[in-house]
Amino acid sequence: MSIDVKKRKKTGPWREVWRRLKQNKSAIFGLIVILTLIVVAIFADQIAPYGYDDQNLRARFQTPNGDHWFGTDNFGRDIFSRIIYGAQISLKVGLLAVGIALIVGGTMGAIAGFYGGRLDNGIMRFIDILLAIPSILLAISIVAALGPELRNVMIAVGVGSIPSYARIVRASVLSLRDQEFIEAARAVGASDTRLILKHIIPNSLAPLIVQSTIGVAGAILAAAGLGFIGLGIQPPLAEWGAMLNSGRQYIRDYPHMTAFPGLAIMVTIFALNLLGDGLRDALDPRLKN
Amino acid sequence: MHKYILRRLLLLIPVMLGVSFIVFTMMYFTPGDPARIMLGESAPEADVQKLRDDLGLNDPFFIQYGRYVKNAVVNQDMGRSYITKRPVFDEIAARFPNTLKLASMGVLIAVVIGVPIGIISATRQYSLFDNISMVVALIGVSMPNFWQGLLLIILFSINLAWLPSSGFDTWKHMILPAVTLGTSSAAIITRMTRSSMLEVVRQDYIRTARAKGQKESVVINQHALKNALIPVITVIGLQFGYLLGGAVLTESIFGISGVGRLMVDSIKSRDMLVVQGGVLFIAVTFSIVNLGVDILYSFVDPRIKSQYK
Amino acid sequence: MKKRFLVLLSLMLIFSLVAVGCGSNEIETPVAEEPSETPSETPVDSEPSTEPVKDTLVVGQGADAKSLDPHATNDQPSSRVSKQIYETLVNQNEAMELEPGLAESWTQIDELTYEFKLKQGVLFHNGEELKASDVKFTILRALESSHIGHIVGPIDGEKIEVIDDYTIRISTKDPFAPLIAHFAHTAMGILNEKAVTEAGEDYGQNPVGTGPFKFVSWVNGDKIDLERFEEYHGEPAKVKYVTIRNLSDNTTRTIELESGGVDIAYDIQPSDVARVEENSELTLLRDMNLSTAYVGFNTEKAPYDNLLVRQAINYALDMDTIVDVVYEGVGAPSNGPLGPNVWASNQDLEQYGFNIEKAKELMKEAGYENGFKTTIWTNDNQQRMDIAEIAQNQLKEIGIEAEVKVVEWGAYLDGTANGEHDMFILGWVTVTGDPDYGLYALFHSSQMGAAGNRTFYSNDRVDELLDEARVSADPAVREAAYKEAQKIIRDEAPWIFTWSGENVSGTRANVKGFSQHPAGHHKLSGVYFE
Repeated sequence: MSIDVKKRKKTGPWREVWRRLKQNKSAIFGLIVILTLIVVAIFADQIAPYGYDDQNLRARFQTPNGDHWFGTDNFGRDIFSRIIYGAQISLKVGLLAVGIALIVGGTMGAIAGFYGGRLDNGIMRFIDILLAIPSILLAISIVAALGPELRNVMIAVGVGSIPSYARIVRASVLSLRDQEFIEAARAVGASDTRLILKHIIPNSLAPLIVQSTIGVAGAILAAAGLGFIGLGIQPPLAEWGAMLNSGRQYIRDYPHMTAFPGLAIMVTIFALNLLGDGLRDALDPRLKN
Repeated sequence: MHKYILRRLLLLIPVMLGVSFIVFTMMYFTPGDPARIMLGESAPEADVQKLRDDLGLNDPFFIQYGRYVKNAVVNQDMGRSYITKRPVFDEIAARFPNTLKLASMGVLIAVVIGVPIGIISATRQYSLFDNISMVVALIGVSMPNFWQGLLLIILFSINLAWLPSSGFDTWKHMILPAVTLGTSSAAIITRMTRSSMLEVVRQDYIRTARAKGQKESVVINQHALKNALIPVITVIGLQFGYLLGGAVLTESIFGISGVGRLMVDSIKSRDMLVVQGGVLFIAVTFSIVNLGVDILYSFVDPRIKSQYK
Repeated sequence: MKKRFLVLLSLMLIFSLVAVGCGSNEIETPVAEEPSETPSETPVDSEPSTEPVKDTLVVGQGADAKSLDPHATNDQPSSRVSKQIYETLVNQNEAMELEPGLAESWTQIDELTYEFKLKQGVLFHNGEELKASDVKFTILRALESSHIGHIVGPIDGEKIEVIDDYTIRISTKDPFAPLIAHFAHTAMGILNEKAVTEAGEDYGQNPVGTGPFKFVSWVNGDKIDLERFEEYHGEPAKVKYVTIRNLSDNTTRTIELESGGVDIAYDIQPSDVARVEENSELTLLRDMNLSTAYVGFNTEKAPYDNLLVRQAINYALDMDTIVDVVYEGVGAPSNGPLGPNVWASNQDLEQYGFNIEKAKELMKEAGYENGFKTTIWTNDNQQRMDIAEIAQNQLKEIGIEAEVKVVEWGAYLDGTANGEHDMFILGWVTVTGDPDYGLYALFHSSQMGAAGNRTFYSNDRVDELLDEARVSADPAVREAAYKEAQKIIRDEAPWIFTWSGENVSGTRANVKGFSQHPAGHHKLSGVYFE
């Protein structure tokens, strides 16, 4: 295999995908929103006018104004700043939770699909069991077991989505396993690990990318849900779901305390979904409606 | 067909054993002693140990789990709640109907809204209606339902005072929770119906039908719909299961005494046997719903039916 | 073909409806055994023309009862219900005075023994008459309970003597001054031996007492229905039915009160107080109660083994502001370990007050000029988390970098019992209104760890005073001892005194005859509608 061929193979399809994605206005809109959020999250310290736990007990419950664009909360903290720091947490949770699910689920799926037989059966039964437990209950139990910290919330949310990645990878491995280029690679003596990593995984990338984009959205929502029932990331960290929860008791007098975190979650999920839809269309033109 | 159903039901047994083992293990190794939680801030160690003995918590893991399985299988007894001392079965049976009702109404709302809008959107692809409903659907998917619940309470319970914000006694109580729970499913079903319809519409036989000069409504109703609905039914089934579990948040916002809330409370208070029972209940229901969906298929598509024989 | 689609749609509909339908069938089986007695819609068969007389009192509280077996739990939501069903030998009224209950009178025979004369002709809800044997049975059963055993702990189970059907002698192992107050604890409601034995394991759902209301039904997790007990020995209850609803969301509970869904709502959250107060359809009731909140130090662990550090932190925290922000005007900042309602509470203690300069000085003196790193433990209780967050912020001023550690209740109790914590936030309710209950478990060195003394505080003089007051029969001696102990505790600062609690309930304006009990379990038999 010459270098030239390899290169063309790598860049060609992705450039094509990008070209198709670019034509999709809503997907680009989603992408811009997500990129903005990432930038905001990275430069939170520079952007946020206040710290996430800078209290000012003399300026509590301020409605949005010039100093505090989104108002202040029950400790006089600037909600705008907290939303910005919240982006950091939500994106971190979203990405890492999906990362965990992707690696664990993907490996399980690849092994199951590639080796088949008993191993496949065993892994898939385990996946069935995981699927039978409602994911939010699973997440709650895991957080209860490990303690309500950022890292554990990621694990809890990640474990719940292992099955979907395992299934996707397994399905594409099954469809690829007996195809000619795999046979060929095997014929030249490629090891199983190499086969899986170099040939099978890259070829099942398209559905994985789509699933991951939407998965990040799901993970952010799930983490916010945990925060909302008080089992997620703990204060004073500014997690959007926890902010919603603590604003709940003031909802009648100061609805701005719940409005902004809610909007933040919604916009993020909305953008991720737009991007996910766009990616799906771009990666698999056959599916485009 | 009967054989198929029976086999599926039998397959449930190992899955449920697995579920119970995982839940049991997880709860067992969760820090926080149920006895101490019950006894509170000022319980002398001796009292805690006594209660642990009474509850059988001092036995080794496998003895506890073995006892649980044995009681469940041999005596059909799921044990008693550590806290209320009520039989776990009663504890769940008293709340399960609420959760089931809530999830069913959620699905009902989702189907009634989602399927027609999806169909219309697909038949008028790229029309204003299509665009608007797709954006709205996406918003529906993106809206955290616990936030939406709060917004609905502000609007309909507080500002307009039309609907109660808690309880689950009359149909009036059920509207807000069901809408809250059903929204995202409605959005998902709308999107699924639309894309599935579009997929089908492009098939050759539809083209043929159109070429023969049949009216569009006939084409859609007679040919496209039933094939398009197969994947939609899957999604509906999945959503139902999802809503059963997802009712946790909705139940806590609207103060509904359902299994979801019971689970959260029980996990917090380490009421292990109730958690076990609740998860098993939900898991079994979910699996039965899935089986129901598969059976429904065979009514829609005879090709699938033949596979079961 | 079109038909096929319709068939499909109707199938889906039927499927959903069946699910819904199943639901409503099932709900009847486990709960409403006597559907005729569902009290919420009583006046159905009366003439529709007359204005229906409201005879059901609906009360909303923040959690469902756990068990109505007083020996199987010791939680507020349960005792709020139990209080209506059961009666105790001794009553403690709203002014915290002890008065005769099921016992007409009692006399102290010797240092260890009391004799109680029971009221005659008292009937249990199952028709049995109250006898001394029931009292004996109740106490023996209570002694066995891991939940409330400590309340009767001082009693010697082997020396309970039934003299005749209406006379009983009860002895303690050691002299125990607050004994009579313990008999007024809701956990000491007198049970009927026959009812308990018959119900077996299910007694918690089939309570039988002598109180003004008898138990009707319990919709698990949702509500409990009670009905007036017509053969009640005292003044009968004014309303025929009581429904106690579980409305765990604070905001929702207030909304239900405003909309008339409940007649009385317990524990109005601070942010709703003004709203209830200003609403002409509602009445707000506020009374200081027996609870207290505190920030504790693990005094066995450096740097909190250093008195100067504990005092410095006391000066560094602006407790008035904290209480103001967290409790929004409900309750009051506290100046001692006991609330103002507790007998012999020392209200002359001086608050440390907010004084950063003094705090810095003390820190310097203690050798922590540059502060230190520490953790503040709390469980996931909103107010405690709020206190922790503000304290964390204020401690920065004297260089202390505190991390707020939110720990789940179970793990919290374990960790603080084992001394793994640094600073921590907890509360206490002196239910009996006697300082023994509010001091002994918390500050006596024999009670370290799980028993209640989670600061691991130890002071010989305090031990001595608490022991003395526990056994002395002379109220003056007791009072003096308790006041001195409180003074020492204030100066030695194992706690930062934080907050004395307040009971805040809201009622509809037409609800009359309702008053709050400092212990939080309010009597409902005198409540009526106007």
